[in-house]
Amino acid sequence: MARVYNWQLQREMSYWYPENRPKRQFAAIFDINKCIACQTCTLACKTTWTSGKGQEYMLWNNVETKPYGSYPLAWDLNLLGKLGAQQWNGGEYPGRTLFESAEAGERVLGWRPEEPDYAYPNHGEDDCAGQVDAGADVNIPHLSWFFYLARICNHCTFPACLSACPRGSIYKRPEDGIVLVDQSRCRGYQECVKACPYKKVFYNPMTGTSEKCIACFPKIEEGLQPQCFVNCIGKIRMAGWISRPDEARPDNPLDYLVHIRKVALPLFPQFGLEPNVYYIPPIHAPKPFLQQMFGPLAGQAIDAYRAAKDDLDLAGLLALFGSSERLMSRWKREGEMIAGLDDQGAELVRVPITEPVSIRPAYDELYQIARVNCP
Amino acid sequence: MNRSFPHWPLSHVAAALVALIGCRQAAEAPPTNVVIRQVASLPSEPSDPAWRQAVEFDAKLIPQDMVEPRLLAESTAGVRVRALTDGRDLAVRLEWDDASKDDVPGPAKFFDACAIQVPADVQSTVPAPQMGETGRPVHISYWNAVWQASVDGRPDSLAALYPNAAVDHYPFEAESLKKDPAAQQAMAARYAPARTLGNPMAGPRESPVEDMIAEGPSTLTRSPEQASRGRGVKTATGWSVQIVRPLPASAANHQPGQIAFAVWRGDAREVGARKMRTAWIELSQEEIHEPSASQ
Repeated sequence: MARVYNWQLQREMSYWYPENRPKRQFAAIFDINKCIACQTCTLACKTTWTSGKGQEYMLWNNVETKPYGSYPLAWDLNLLGKLGAQQWNGGEYPGRTLFESAEAGERVLGWRPEEPDYAYPNHGEDDCAGQVDAGADVNIPHLSWFFYLARICNHCTFPACLSACPRGSIYKRPEDGIVLVDQSRCRGYQECVKACPYKKVFYNPMTGTSEKCIACFPKIEEGLQPQCFVNCIGKIRMAGWISRPDEARPDNPLDYLVHIRKVALPLFPQFGLEPNVYYIPPIHAPKPFLQQMFGPLAGQAIDAYRAAKDDLDLAGLLALFGSSERLMSRWKREGEMIAGLDDQGAELVRVPITEPVSIRPAYDELYQIARVNCP
Repeated sequence: MNRSFPHWPLSHVAAALVALIGCRQAAEAPPTNVVIRQVASLPSEPSDPAWRQAVEFDAKLIPQDMVEPRLLAESTAGVRVRALTDGRDLAVRLEWDDASKDDVPGPAKFFDACAIQVPADVQSTVPAPQMGETGRPVHISYWNAVWQASVDGRPDSLAALYPNAAVDHYPFEAESLKKDPAAQQAMAARYAPARTLGNPMAGPRESPVEDMIAEGPSTLTRSPEQASRGRGVKTATGWSVQIVRPLPASAANHQPGQIAFAVWRGDAREVGARKMRTAWIELSQEEIHEPSASQ
């Protein structure tokens, strides 16, 4: 194994291959607080990529309800149990990653879902943690909680699927860091399925190969955001590029939100893959749960997010989510307006940070009629 | 009970015993390597009586535990090997014990398979037995039970794999597309990139055997020339698989060569590098010309 630097763990770690970062890394931010689990993203992906024979059960994008939902079944609990206690020391994770915990004969600590584990994609949907008996649901704040976790492939910097493939059939594109399965070379060994902790590689029995989220790379190559991003009616997602923290650019929206404001965090960073989908944690879920899921900075991220209403830059960037199909690699704020720019600095979209609001009187004196103030 | 025994001279009895013991030793001495017997024509399938002419070699299998991912638990103990040639092709029959028939692909499902491996070239030393090494390739003929099921007539459909599956709709089977089969096929191809790229892991097959070439672990690649053929049959106790491939370079030159075998058991979740294998085994050719197998 080689030694690589994982900035999410703030330390070097062991990995199957030497560190070889792409020229730029595809990344995304999902604002969990805005997700309503409408599954439009799921359908957008399904329609675009996985409507073929043998892909029926595949959800390259799925939305599950936490704490109980999971697809495939218990993808997270199974691995957390195998990995054992995960203790952070400040921002550093001195514990063992999946690569450092690999069992004898294996490259990665993993587990293999059985067929029935894929049979319940909406298991736990809308189930909240705890009882809401005896009027508990009308008490504010609510005693019980749940939130929706939208998931795609994390296009990890240190992909477990890639390291586990004995044939080298999985590769990370040098131009954008998107992780792909070479469909001409894959022989369907399913080692990647076993190794990916997020279970975002799927075996297709009708092609005999494994398939996964491709980050809609044909769209990325055209400067467009993926299907699950642009179809999100809650506008919870932004795709773009992430730098290493020491190379973070304040005018890059993702760098700014992840590295500078630290409002978005990776999913289970302790696994050691340096995943590149970042989540703004839900503000109402218990911090210990969120710290297990997003690392020790979950509380600070929520504090920063809560303060966004008084922070034009942060609020502005959140307003850019879902505002354009184009990939926005830069941003700038001018007063109450926020703009997304392309690589050359050309403006792609401009939106108000605070949406204009017009309130009509409930009773129209002119026409002597009551009006309903809803769209 | 009265029994009568023939009264043979003692010298005759002794001579008969010596001859009998000698015969038994000659008949039972297990071969120390795989011996190719020449026949006029090769058997057509694994149960062909012609296979009785070949000497059976019992090859011990060991787990592939050299490179990750390794197989740590032993499964199939050995494979029984017979080899015949008609002077042009080499026919090898592999038989091994396996109670379950695993020939359906799926998530977390694996299938029974076997392979034979020979050095690509005649060299003074053999390449590494683990699939060769850089610059010293090996040729591999690989058979699996899924491909056999396809050749035996299993339809290329999801219903053949999941008889109870219910599918609402495939976009490329929309009524509106049926007027334009070319557009329909193009759309279906977009949802099956492996097939579109010619990856033969699934789909209708004419042969259950694939010719591969390798220069070490992780380099296994489909050979540009597909010359092997074969057939596998599930027996009451295991598999009986016949693979016919061009005579290896050594045997074609009437020189001793090397051969190796691998077996995968689907129910033991053996796949790819997780396999039971042999080391190199000497492959020699018997110089006796036997009558035709059909005679």
